[in-house]
Amino acid sequence: MTKRLVIPGELVTEERKKLGSHVFVREGKIYSDSIGLVNDEADFASVVPLEGKYAPQMNDVIIGVITSERFAGYGVDINSFYPSFVSKKELREVLKPGSIISAKIMKVNEFNEVELGSIRLFFGGEIMPVTPVKVPRLIGKEGSMLNIIKGGTGSNIIVGRNGRVWAKGGNLDLLRKSIEKVEREAHVDHLTDRMAEFIQSQTGGKKPEAPRGEEMFGEGEQ
Amino acid sequence: MGKKKEEQIIYVDSKGKRLDGRKVDELRPIKITAGVIPRADGSAYLEWGQNKVFAAVYGPRECLPKHTASPYKAVIKFVYRMAAFSVPDRKNPKPGRREVEISKVCGEALERAIFVEKFPNTSIDVTVEIVDSNAGSRIAALTAASVALADAGIPMRDMVCGTSVGKAGGKIIVDLDKDEEDASDAVDIPIAMLPNSKEVVLLQLDGVLTRKEWDEAYKMAEVSAMKVYEVQKQALKAKYINGEADANKAEKKGVEEK
Repeated sequence: MTKRLVIPGELVTEERKKLGSHVFVREGKIYSDSIGLVNDEADFASVVPLEGKYAPQMNDVIIGVITSERFAGYGVDINSFYPSFVSKKELREVLKPGSIISAKIMKVNEFNEVELGSIRLFFGGEIMPVTPVKVPRLIGKEGSMLNIIKGGTGSNIIVGRNGRVWAKGGNLDLLRKSIEKVEREAHVDHLTDRMAEFIQSQTGGKKPEAPRGEEMFGEGEQ
Repeated sequence: MGKKKEEQIIYVDSKGKRLDGRKVDELRPIKITAGVIPRADGSAYLEWGQNKVFAAVYGPRECLPKHTASPYKAVIKFVYRMAAFSVPDRKNPKPGRREVEISKVCGEALERAIFVEKFPNTSIDVTVEIVDSNAGSRIAALTAASVALADAGIPMRDMVCGTSVGKAGGKIIVDLDKDEEDASDAVDIPIAMLPNSKEVVLLQLDGVLTRKEWDEAYKMAEVSAMKVYEVQKQALKAKYINGEADANKAEKKGVEEK
């Protein structure tokens, strides 16, 4: 499977293929609209982008940061085009600016504005940024990459689709390095194997203690 | 006396060489680096001859103040700014008539390339800072901005590339520098186009050309713009190809250690 790097406006294929994502048609030929990778053998003409903002999608789990408090609820930064809002009616906890929450996207309208549901407040931990389009690489096929990272660092990790990783406990420095490696090499093949090797070399093959059943979600004050 | 001396400047000599030794259809050396500003969504640094340009892209993001937003498309807010030290005499840092005009035309040129209708109610902020300038800075700004937009992952129909063409000393030349722009009969035409469709998105002209001269100038601009496009392409791909080389090296090293 060979992948080709394309830039916006570069030809993807002259054949008639089904249209995938991040492509457009002009004069019967298919072109890319972003910088990304093309698999020429696939049935679909599509580009896997390497850069880009998070476009909200229904049922995604995201990680948000509370930015402001209003009379009826809270303003939430979801790392997308617009900030979102959660109503106090749906919450039992008292939040304050800086609180980190996980939420599910219940509804997206044609302006990409979202409605959030199943809100849970994180208890401590920290968030690390990752390019939103590289989140699938960080998770891997059926969570393979994430399992390797979890096993190596011994941290509790939750990955939000909006390009935020929440983590608590374990080897956070190694986790940060691992995320940087995924960012840097997301477009190169066999990343999962290389990541396993990387973590092996960093930890010296020592197994960390299994993630302790630490409190991930809490109520109110931290 | 002074006038006589001026007439003696030969812009293109008998060997077809210009004042700085370039051929008539030769560009100044261009160097582009993508992704230089970590906190921006996308960025680029460009050196085009003596021109030095930083471009940063933020967005698509909430359009503020809200009355500037459009429910049909993303608004492109292009800001072209020259640093006070970018010209021989100090430039007043206040945005002047020239900068406002360039911001407007460059923003409109980019709007044609970007799929603005995909992001209603948002703004895409593009800021270009000219750190050093020597003629042709608006095209340099547009070239850098286009690389920065691609680096930000904003969907685009095409890149935007271009050059200036013009006339100095009665000869049609490509990519005029400051000395050539100051010629008594100088004509300067910045042209920007979408390389695949050859659609012209920016064209300004001051001076007078005959029809024949114009045809020649446009043909030269088209060829030169494609050269600029190749540099942009290399710059964008280099960011990833270098990463790949590092990964391969690391892999090799790992194998050797085993």
